[in-house]
Amino acid sequence: MRDKPIFIFFLLIVCLVLFWGVFYPNLSVLLTSFQQKNTWSLANYKEIFISPLILRATFNSFWISIATVIGSAIVGGAMALIFHFLEFPGRRIFAALAPLPLLMPPLIGVIAFIFLYGESGIISRVIIKTFSLTSPAWQLNGPGAILAVHIYSFYAYFYTFISTSLNNLDYSLLDAARSLGASRQKIFFSILLPLLKPALIGASLLTFMNSMASFSAPYLFGGGTPMLTLQIFNAKVGSQWELAMAESVLLAILSIFALIWLTYNQETTIGGSKGTASITRRTITNFWLKLTTLFVTFIAITIIILPLLTLLLISFAKDGSWTVEILPPSYTFSNYEKVFSNPRFIEPIYNSLIMSALSAAGAFFFSLPAAYLFTRTKFFGQKALIILTMIPWALPGTVLGLSFAASFNEAKWSNGGIVLIGTFWILPILYFLRTLPLVLRSTQANLEQVDANLEGASRSLGASFFYTLRHVILPLILPGAISGTALAFATAMGEFVTSVIVYVPNSRPISIEIAAQLRAFHLGNAAVYGVFLTIIIAISLLIGRRLSSTKLSNNI
Amino acid sequence: MSRRYFLLIFILLSILSLATCQKESKTSLLIYSPHGTELLEAMKARFEEKNPQVEIQFLDLSSQEIYDRVKLERANTQADIWWGASAITFGQAAEEGLFEPYKPTWADKVTEIARDSQDRWYGTFQTPEVIVYNQTALKTEDIPKDWDDLLDPKWKGRLIVRDPVRSDTMRTIFGAMILRQWSAAQTPDAGYDWLRKLDANTKEYTVDGTLLLQKLARQEGVVSLWDLPDVALAINRQKMPLEFVIPASGTPLVIDGIAIIKGTKQLKLAQEFYEFVTTEENLLLAASEFYHPPLRTDIDKAKLPDWLRKIEIKPMPVDQTLYKTNIQDWMRYWDSQIRNQNNR
Repeated sequence: MRDKPIFIFFLLIVCLVLFWGVFYPNLSVLLTSFQQKNTWSLANYKEIFISPLILRATFNSFWISIATVIGSAIVGGAMALIFHFLEFPGRRIFAALAPLPLLMPPLIGVIAFIFLYGESGIISRVIIKTFSLTSPAWQLNGPGAILAVHIYSFYAYFYTFISTSLNNLDYSLLDAARSLGASRQKIFFSILLPLLKPALIGASLLTFMNSMASFSAPYLFGGGTPMLTLQIFNAKVGSQWELAMAESVLLAILSIFALIWLTYNQETTIGGSKGTASITRRTITNFWLKLTTLFVTFIAITIIILPLLTLLLISFAKDGSWTVEILPPSYTFSNYEKVFSNPRFIEPIYNSLIMSALSAAGAFFFSLPAAYLFTRTKFFGQKALIILTMIPWALPGTVLGLSFAASFNEAKWSNGGIVLIGTFWILPILYFLRTLPLVLRSTQANLEQVDANLEGASRSLGASFFYTLRHVILPLILPGAISGTALAFATAMGEFVTSVIVYVPNSRPISIEIAAQLRAFHLGNAAVYGVFLTIIIAISLLIGRRLSSTKLSNNI
Repeated sequence: MSRRYFLLIFILLSILSLATCQKESKTSLLIYSPHGTELLEAMKARFEEKNPQVEIQFLDLSSQEIYDRVKLERANTQADIWWGASAITFGQAAEEGLFEPYKPTWADKVTEIARDSQDRWYGTFQTPEVIVYNQTALKTEDIPKDWDDLLDPKWKGRLIVRDPVRSDTMRTIFGAMILRQWSAAQTPDAGYDWLRKLDANTKEYTVDGTLLLQKLARQEGVVSLWDLPDVALAINRQKMPLEFVIPASGTPLVIDGIAIIKGTKQLKLAQEFYEFVTTEENLLLAASEFYHPPLRTDIDKAKLPDWLRKIEIKPMPVDQTLYKTNIQDWMRYWDSQIRNQNNR
């Protein structure tokens, strides 16, 4: 073991970051949950188990999250497979548009949804008009609405993870199977699915946890459906802080349970050595089949981009003018003028850019060694570390922000004298912790897909650890790391719930600006900021795609 | 190939170095306030004009968010002033020792209920709660004139209400409705009955004020209960087709206050700002431009803006102690026993 010092060095860094950043602040969440009025007590947990409301909320959160995972996997997976294996007119454009929902900052996304599918939304009014209905055809309300919004927002995790994996695949395996006479189903279930398993597991985890911890969708569309995050929020507002913490612990445990269950079900993948064979897409020749494919993709793409178009529309609509009409009756540039003429206009955009870039860069550099340690080595406490990395993603943003800020609010021996509250740095650090799982999971999915024997071969041929790292490991995992980093950047750009708790004047992020504009009824201005945010996120995702799809294997 | 990554790293590092150099030259004062960017910007500009060496910074947060923050930052105070929250919230925060007492020069110009006995906070604005409706959707004779009119079955499915669990304003209204009928039986039952009937007419509980007014403007519902400044802003600034009435039997007035946060490093400057935003001139500005009626009793009625002189605000007495001790229980009862129970 010549490499041991290097491993230990990286392991120490990983442990240190996770201890201070995750374990230490969340310990206080756990401890608080066992208190009531400053004395130790199990009363909070007792309340959870006797309150039918909390139990119902837990059940709802759980089944809606599972349904979200299934729905997102079907939508995202189907899109990735279709765009990857089939050739048809417009494929490239469709493929480029597929991850679009990630561009929608959460706050703006739900507003666009309301304007589209809400009772007085565009689509709803079009349907009422065309079919001369007397009442709306549906209500954007209840579990169905939450599920629709969730799948719309989360399928892109599956799409991105699976696409990256497919790009990284050795297609000679598929060709070999085909030439040996395997049926298409056989190839799909026995070869493709096992190869995609790491990507599927990674995306399922992120989606499940994200959906468990999701707040905006239940808050806006729940319509009285009790969900765990809402109960936590209500408890906090009702000054039952300890109960809120106990509910958060319950939520985190359910999420971690899913993490453990999924990781234990993950056997080693079949030897996917990296070959050079690349894909030949099947061109659809049958006219009717082609037409159907086109039609279905067209509908899908329309659903995907409609909220963005709505956002654009609102940004040009005169505030307050749009009441009972299907579309805004009058248009204006004044929203843009007002935003541009504000001397403070660029500040939130600039702040968000810097903070997201910092956090994404941090997550990228942290994930490379961490992913390697978590998949290629075995050491005591490894599972615990993996769980720690996921906790900030599994907890609701408010709980994460409050517990973190409370842990670094004054210089204490236990926090190493680090004061973060009131500083610029607290937000980039929180973004880093929160989006880390995106990069880590995506990198791990790539690494797991690659046969460990490749490294062994390189080492046994006399290559040094760093040579192997540079020429064998890195080229294989960079695509995953980069597409994960792009996701992390995009997520940090739109982050709101955590930001609102700890931002300071010189770190005021764009999402806060949007919320402030909304609160002052400046829907148009909020939409203008939303448009900007969308453009920035689009560019970052495009760069990520570019970098991750370059033929890195040329280096081997 | 690798050059590209080095370039990426280089760009990230240069962003990092940019981010770390922030300039600090003026004395700055940090205000936490839910009063909205426009009012805050206006006050900031006026104060800085008078005090060029000072920079006013503000964070525009909801009062619940401010409360969380101030508690969180207690060990390491960040903001100097908290401007804007109900007397109830301020009372709670004062009890927790979050404020630095200060007696403003106009201390005796507000009534007893608009000031803390230990000078920890003082009232600045009074916010009347109103009935708001879509004026294009209602005929004149249909316009509700008092709280009880909202219980008329003709409003079934046409009433939209802001979710009270998350709103100080709605909690105040619901609490007042319970207390209005309290003295007879000394129980909230009559009030609960009233809320049950209101629930029967309610089509939806929206999660925030903006959406509420938006839905009213778009006629998803036509009547609601909300606070006057928000409604007036929506009507006059956003030109929403809405109108409001002050309920005939009286309206609960929410006292909206200001306080200096304990641990401020700029006590003198904070006091100066405190005084500045509560001068007659600036209170009148807040009243005319932002629809916040002032609390100071010494302001000449003739100087008040037209809109305020035209309306008659009849205060509804609200027993603050009863309200404070019971509101959490009432809301919990409402949430589990009344919400959405009566309209199916």
